[in-house]
Amino acid sequence: SRLAEGTPRRSIQLSNIVEQRVFQDDEIISTPKRARSKKTTTAEEDKEYTPKKTPTRSRRLSTASAAAPATPTPLTPSQKLKKIRAGEISPTMEQRKTDTANPDKGRKSQLQLAREQLHVSVVPQSLPCREKEFDNIYNFLEGKIQDQCGGCMYVSGVPGTGKTATVSGVIRTLQGMTRQRKLPEFEFLEINGMRLTEPRQAYVQIYKQLTGKTVSWEQAHTLLEKRFTTPAPRRITTVLLVDELDILCNRRQDVVYNLLDWPTKSAARLVVITIANTMDLPERLLMGKVTSRLGLTRLTFQPYTHKQLQEIVSARLGLAGSEAFKGEAVQLVARKVAAVSGDARRALDICRRATEIAKDCVTMLHVQQALAEMIASAKVQAIKNCSRLEQIFLQAVAAEVTRTGVEETTFMGVYQQLETIAAIMGVSTLPPPGRALRLCSKLGAERLLISEPSRHDLYQKILLNVSTDDIHYALRVEQPMTTT
Amino acid sequence: MEKICSALEPIFPCRESAINTLAELIGDSREAYPAAIHLFGHSGTGKTALTKAFFKQCQRQQHVRIAQLNAIECYTTKILLEYVLDALAPSQDEGDAVRADNMLEFVEKLRQWHDQNDGDGDSQAFLIAVDNAERLRDMDANVLPVLLRLQQLTSLNLCVVLLSQLPFEKFYNKTGLSEVISLHLPQYNKAETQRILSTDFAHTRNHYLDKFSGHHERLEICKEALTEDFYGNYLNLFLSVFYKACRDVPELRLTARKCFDIYMEPVLDGSVEATDISRLWRHIAGPLRSALTQIYMRIDKHSFEAGDGGGGSSALEDQSVRKLAQSLELPYYGKYLLIAAFLASYNSAKQDKRLFVKHHGKQRKRMQTVNAKAKTSDKMSTALGPKSFSIDRLLAIFYAILEEKVGLTCNLLSQISTLVHLKLLSFVSGEQNIMDGSARLQCTVGLEFVLYIGKVVGFNVRQYLCDFM
Repeated sequence: SRLAEGTPRRSIQLSNIVEQRVFQDDEIISTPKRARSKKTTTAEEDKEYTPKKTPTRSRRLSTASAAAPATPTPLTPSQKLKKIRAGEISPTMEQRKTDTANPDKGRKSQLQLAREQLHVSVVPQSLPCREKEFDNIYNFLEGKIQDQCGGCMYVSGVPGTGKTATVSGVIRTLQGMTRQRKLPEFEFLEINGMRLTEPRQAYVQIYKQLTGKTVSWEQAHTLLEKRFTTPAPRRITTVLLVDELDILCNRRQDVVYNLLDWPTKSAARLVVITIANTMDLPERLLMGKVTSRLGLTRLTFQPYTHKQLQEIVSARLGLAGSEAFKGEAVQLVARKVAAVSGDARRALDICRRATEIAKDCVTMLHVQQALAEMIASAKVQAIKNCSRLEQIFLQAVAAEVTRTGVEETTFMGVYQQLETIAAIMGVSTLPPPGRALRLCSKLGAERLLISEPSRHDLYQKILLNVSTDDIHYALRVEQPMTTT
Repeated sequence: MEKICSALEPIFPCRESAINTLAELIGDSREAYPAAIHLFGHSGTGKTALTKAFFKQCQRQQHVRIAQLNAIECYTTKILLEYVLDALAPSQDEGDAVRADNMLEFVEKLRQWHDQNDGDGDSQAFLIAVDNAERLRDMDANVLPVLLRLQQLTSLNLCVVLLSQLPFEKFYNKTGLSEVISLHLPQYNKAETQRILSTDFAHTRNHYLDKFSGHHERLEICKEALTEDFYGNYLNLFLSVFYKACRDVPELRLTARKCFDIYMEPVLDGSVEATDISRLWRHIAGPLRSALTQIYMRIDKHSFEAGDGGGGSSALEDQSVRKLAQSLELPYYGKYLLIAAFLASYNSAKQDKRLFVKHHGKQRKRMQTVNAKAKTSDKMSTALGPKSFSIDRLLAIFYAILEEKVGLTCNLLSQISTLVHLKLLSFVSGEQNIMDGSARLQCTVGLEFVLYIGKVVGFNVRQYLCDFM
């Protein structure tokens, strides 16, 4: 089971930064999530901080203030840290020096436009093929906000099926409704399990989004507890989005329990939407009391079919991309991806790669090349490009596996097979075992084999990480070439 | 480069080719070093001494900073990193401020020096030697891969020399290592060993001349007899006995110095002519053979001479066991407990009834048992090593072999634990649950030792051993 230990923490933030640096600010149709995520990141504390003039959360404004001259007296590091923890200065990124690098849209080619439209981070205003799910979540949230009570919802589905995008789309719509005074006001908080170093940091993040202050998790927990348990007049509804719920599950499950227990308090007016990948997560991983609090309001996002994927890509391309992409090319991508995972990100990435390959218009051939790059197994190529002795070594491992019938072989048996094969092939200089260990270690580093450290020399265990058919295929096809 | 070679070759005879190769690789600091060199050979082939002297020469003659460390001393990575940084620090004023918590900071520090380096016209080079490099495999998984490509990571003219007794094929890990140049230091052959040992001649001669400076007639004999040929002959005799057993030069040198006293004695007495080699051989052969049994033991001179009188090697071994047994004073019941433990370890539990129970009924002679009894020496359980036994069985055998009936007091049980503390017994398993009887013990003393203890208390151990029936 996947628990909180040893999860990759920074990867998401990093990719975020990359995306934001590569694309100019005004090109991103930013979702609330992305905008907020800038504030939640604490990784770039070393970056330039500038005092925030207005308490607004708009990114445009904060970047504008970055350009303005900073306070005349420079702060000592501890003063700076204090201000950061109090949320008085907002983290900004370094701006590009030559800002005029971005030309006007007219000069961009069709293909470039299509490429920008196809980027995964460019989430459209309304997601195609997710209307039903949108309605489902919308009705739930609207009802909870209207009724001014608390509740829980569990959303699941394999990666890339538009869970987070749909939920944040619903939130955006609801926020628009409140602005038009058609709906009572509500506050929106969001945490992501993958962005937390440990589950308890969730309290810190939630409290930070409420007040902007960074405090220790114990303190944040007490303050949140106080906020959600004591009734206060004019308390507005809070919607809390918990992404990657399974990461928040530790052995004690105290964080998940608290997050799901607060909605049951009448004073809290908390609506929690939890997102995870596995459908049976509450039954598989969570304790009984936690599952019972999670409730039965669930929604599963099915993987996209090839028709839906086709629709998504063509919606992305819109009017502009109609000439950049051939219709059958999109269909090929959709069919190939839908057969594997139904992941929309994968389809978009393959399309982007195809636009990079193509010169002016993306045809089937370009798509096929992109598919070969991103889906095809490189193992046969790797075996073909091995040295002669490495190939013989791989053959020897395969021969030993067939001889003994057991998957796991020892180096000693493999070396005997190596001697035999080398004798048959007429290889004049057989490597001594020391060199053969080097071959084995190289193949192991390339993950064609799975081997132990070579300190166990003759007794090290070797597993074949490619199928024997791959080896035969790679070497049989190549042999005529070497003989000619 | 030539200067380094010419400085080192007198100090390290018979290592000309290795010194040349090393000088070609890292002799000149203005040329680019290889990233890593792996220098391997048996113990006593001069890896450490050669590298040390080579580095010293480099430091003296060129603009090179050196670091020499022993991987055994570095039980955490941090110690290793800070040691290297300390040794390589370009200016002394940094002193104790050098800190590196992890590999990243270490590399970062070295890179800073690279930036400083660019300012000077004369570029600096760095040499790092890691002794006992096989320990690097047991440290954090990133230590060895980073050290092997430290040159690339730091952009410094830097070379890491790994010294080890193992060939490099024992170093490969699961994720692959970068290229390394392997250099082998072979063991010296007999002629080379003799040549190296004969460099002692001047030292020995001076030693003798000093020693007999007051003794006029001995001094005369010394001056006349102690020639290079004479010493060479001695070494020839010495190596004819020792070379088969040991090729470790430092060990041979120590023993050769010790035995030379005995060799010289009849010459100094005047009883044997210095040229009469066959008579001198007769004198020295015995002491040499007895010294051979004590090689690697580094016993001081006192006991060495005491053991000399013993003559043959087997007698000497016996004596050492007896000495040990004598020096170990156990209480009476403790001795019996030890004997009981030995019997429990080397007899199978099936035989217990026949050995220790008084009225065990008649045993029928069957062909099977007769065959089983016809043991060859390699089937003897005393040669196979001890088996484990439970404390209950130990106590049962103890009461069976002890004629008097003694109460099972806490003193008796505490003696068992004392025997364990003294490493005469050891736990095989179940160390946590001794009291519930699932703990298994083993006897760790040898047969001679127990036989001797049996003799002291008047108990015939052989009578109770299945092997000797």
